Amino acid sequence: MTNEDFSARLQAAIARHVGAPGTVHDLNRLTGGANKTTWSFDAEVAGAREQFILQLASPRANDESNPLAGVSPHLIANEDARLMIAAVKAGVPAPRVRAILKDDDGLGPGYVTERVAGETLATKILREERFAGARATMAKQCGTILAAIHRIPVAEVPFLMKLTPLEHIAAQRRIIEFYGFHSPALELGLKWAEQHAPRNGRHTVVHGDFRAGNFIVGEEGIRCVLDWEIGQSGDPMQDLGWVCVKTWRFGGKKPVGGFGTREDLFEAYEKASGHSVDPAHVRFWEAYGSVRWGIGCFSMGTRGTEEVGIERCAIGRRVEEPLWDFLNLIEGHD
Amino acid sequence: MPQSSPKAAVLLEAAVKYLESELMPTLDGYYRFQTRVTVNVLNTVRRELELRTAQAEAERSRLVAILGHDGEVEALSVELAEKIRVGAISIDDPSLRAHVRQSLADALAINNPKWMTR
Repeated sequence: MTNEDFSARLQAAIARHVGAPGTVHDLNRLTGGANKTTWSFDAEVAGAREQFILQLASPRANDESNPLAGVSPHLIANEDARLMIAAVKAGVPAPRVRAILKDDDGLGPGYVTERVAGETLATKILREERFAGARATMAKQCGTILAAIHRIPVAEVPFLMKLTPLEHIAAQRRIIEFYGFHSPALELGLKWAEQHAPRNGRHTVVHGDFRAGNFIVGEEGIRCVLDWEIGQSGDPMQDLGWVCVKTWRFGGKKPVGGFGTREDLFEAYEKASGHSVDPAHVRFWEAYGSVRWGIGCFSMGTRGTEEVGIERCAIGRRVEEPLWDFLNLIEGHD
Repeated sequence: MPQSSPKAAVLLEAAVKYLESELMPTLDGYYRFQTRVTVNVLNTVRRELELRTAQAEAERSRLVAILGHDGEVEALSVELAEKIRVGAISIDDPSLRAHVRQSLADALAINNPKWMTR
């Protein structure tokens, strides 16, 4: 498809789903991940120029020939969009979905959301003076937002993969077994997780990748939570632990995303959800989250050589960073 | 046969120096980022050439002590991983913990030495 064809099909899709004439301006490709590509554009809708984001699933995503398809959570494009719609309805600052693409739009599976202005680069948010006020409030905001995510009725998003903590760990095992990755450090991590997995948690919608880097931030704080594609249902404390994983502190000193304290996160969560937070329960998910990210690094660096570029190769060599953090965490050197 | 000259480490240093001081200043955006990653990868290879042989020998000795028999380092490591998986060795075993900690520290010394001193 040429750029002109692509732009014309996008205009037709906007006209059809959002409003005429849908004329497209400033179409720019932002990122091309393994699972999706993201585009930014403006379009004329009913006499006004509006800002949008287009997300398109890569042809390979959810490929039925992928032997790991269905092993761990991964939403197809229209499920991803439906989860964001349910999140907005529950009061979560998630992208507002304006169109879910259909087959005859000719663009493949994907969706269009409103574009939210702001910064996503965690290193900038942690260091620039203009975000000082945001940093002071973001841990509390994370608590409030997570409470709202965990209130989304599971019945509204029945396509989410349901995973108990032990099933979550078993899925990670299947991934390393598939790749034939035999590492004493990883096995230690998984065995520790199996022995310490919480067995009495609640079961709610879980974002699955709630962390710095997936927030659009303005000077006043978090404006939008992105990347819902590994949404799942399970133990809500998973999300509270993941946002504390050291990798997602991006060099910042504070435990919540590098910017805030656990006390602020937990207090805001308790206040907004009415559920008390057991810090040890969250610690489990932080420690196991490090192991899970180690496996993520490994599989990113190893996946079919034809799709592993230099950046992916380099991520493969980051396996030991979260495993080192994991060992320090369980041995009390955090 | 005498070793070829310059040595591999010197070739890598020259490649890194070119990319960093001559090529990178002419680039921005995507290409600058990818070149930065390439420089990091080449530095990783340089550290691996320098450190890995001695690390592997020490790792083999630790594995022989834990498992109680001789073997190649990769095979011994796979065997230890399997023993942990099936529960034949406790994850609280101090010699196992010490081995894993040292192995991670060795790998980080090659892949990203700064991680341990954050």
